[in-house]
Amino acid sequence: MIDEHPVEALAAYALGSLASPERAAVDAHVATCTACAARLRAYQGVAATLPLGLTPVPPPSEAWEAISANVQQARAHRKGSATPSKLAGWLRLVRWPAVAVAMSALLTWNVALQRELVRRAPGPAPGPEVEALSRRPGRVVILAGTGKPEASARLFVAVDGGGHLAVSGLSPLPRERTYQLWFVPAGSPPVTGATFGVDSSGRAWVKVAVPSSLDNVQAIVVTEEPAPRGSALTGTHLMDALPWR
Amino acid sequence: MGRSRSAGTSLEQPADLELLRRMRLGDEAALEMLYARYGGLVFTLALRIVGDPELAREVLQDTFLRAWDGRDTYDAGRGRVPWWLMGIARNGAIDLLRSRPHQARLREQERPLSQVRQNESADRGVADALALRRAVGQALAGLSDNQREAIELAYYRGLTQAEIAQHLGQPLGTIKSRTRDAMEHLRTLLEPLIGAGGSESRRD
Repeated sequence: MIDEHPVEALAAYALGSLASPERAAVDAHVATCTACAARLRAYQGVAATLPLGLTPVPPPSEAWEAISANVQQARAHRKGSATPSKLAGWLRLVRWPAVAVAMSALLTWNVALQRELVRRAPGPAPGPEVEALSRRPGRVVILAGTGKPEASARLFVAVDGGGHLAVSGLSPLPRERTYQLWFVPAGSPPVTGATFGVDSSGRAWVKVAVPSSLDNVQAIVVTEEPAPRGSALTGTHLMDALPWR
Repeated sequence: MGRSRSAGTSLEQPADLELLRRMRLGDEAALEMLYARYGGLVFTLALRIVGDPELAREVLQDTFLRAWDGRDTYDAGRGRVPWWLMGIARNGAIDLLRSRPHQARLREQERPLSQVRQNESADRGVADALALRRAVGQALAGLSDNQREAIELAYYRGLTQAEIAQHLGQPLGTIKSRTRDAMEHLRTLLEPLIGAGGSESRRD
C-alpha cells in the first residue's frame, strides 16, 4: 500500500522542496524500500519534465562559446605544472556567497570578459590594460536590473583596485543626462565610481574608480543623473549589486 | 534500441549515455551535442527561476561546465541524463536566487517571460520533444490553481514545504497533500511518455 510510505515527502523531495532533516529521512527510507525508490524516480522524472511546460527561450549564441573556451582553458591549465598553485591562489582571493555556484560563474565571466574584449566593436577602446585586468585574479560583482529589468552589469574589480564595468540593457540617454555608478559606504555619502552613456545597443564598457576597500561599502547602484555628473544620488536605482561578500 | 521519448530528449542519435561515455574519454564534441540537445531547456528553466537573461546564461554555462567536470560521477541508475542536467541547473539557479536581494527577487519573479526574447523555432535542443511538451502543458493545465501554485513555489522558487505553508498562510499538511496530489496527477499522465523507473541503464 503506497499510503504506508512517505508519498508526500517523496513528492516534495523530487521537487527539491524538503528541508535537510526530511531529505535525510527520505534518503534512508528509499535505500531500503524499492517501492518508494521507484516512486521517487517517477516523481523525479515528472519534476524534470516541468520545464517543458514553459515557453521555450533559446540560449544566447555566445553561451556555448564560453563553455567551450572554459573547457579548453581548464585543459590547458591541467597541462601546465604551475597551474594548481595559481588556481589555489585565485580561489583564496575570491569571497562570495554560494561559493560553489559563484566560482564557476566567476571563471565563466572571466572568459566571457576576455571574449567581450576580443569581439568588441570599435568604440571607446578598453585598451591593453583592461585585457590584462581581465586575466588577473579579482572579484566580479553582478548588478541586476532592479529598476530596469532588462538591464544587467558586471563590475570587475582586480585585487589591486582597478575596475571596469560592463553594462547591457540600458537605454541611450539624451545629452543632458548620464548614468552614474555609485558606491554607498556605511555612514557616509555615496561615492561616484563612474559616469557613462550606452551605445545604440544599450551596452557600455566603463573604467571605474573603485574604493580602496569594498568591505565598508553597503551597496553599489546605478542611477540616472543630470550630466555631466550628479553631485548626489537622486535618481531611481536602475541596477543594484547582488551580495558580493 | 527502441528508445522512446524521454524528458526533453530527441530521437536523434547517439543516445545520451553514449554522449556521456564519450565525454568521459575527453570528447568535447559530445558535450557540444549534449548542449545542442538540452541547452535550450536548461536556459529556459534557469530563466524561469532567476528571471534575468544574463544570470540565466551564467546558470546555463555553469550547468554544462559542471556536467563536464562531473561526467565521471553521473550515475545512470539514479535517473536519466536530462534529469541530471535539470537537477544541476535548478540547484544552481535556486542557489543564485537565494543569494539575491529580496526586492530584486520578487520583481523578477513577477516579470512575465514575454519581456525576454523568444524564438521557439530556434530552440533546437527540444525540437523533437514537442509532443511531450504539449503533454506536459496539458497535464499542468489539469491541475487546480492551488496545486499549480504549490508546484511552482516548490520547483521554481525553491521554497520548502514549510516555507510554502507560511507564504500562503495554509496548514503544512494542506500544502503537503496539495503537492502530493499534484505530483500524482502529473505522474499518472506523464509516466506513459517519460517511462517508469527512469534508469538510463535499462534503456540504452
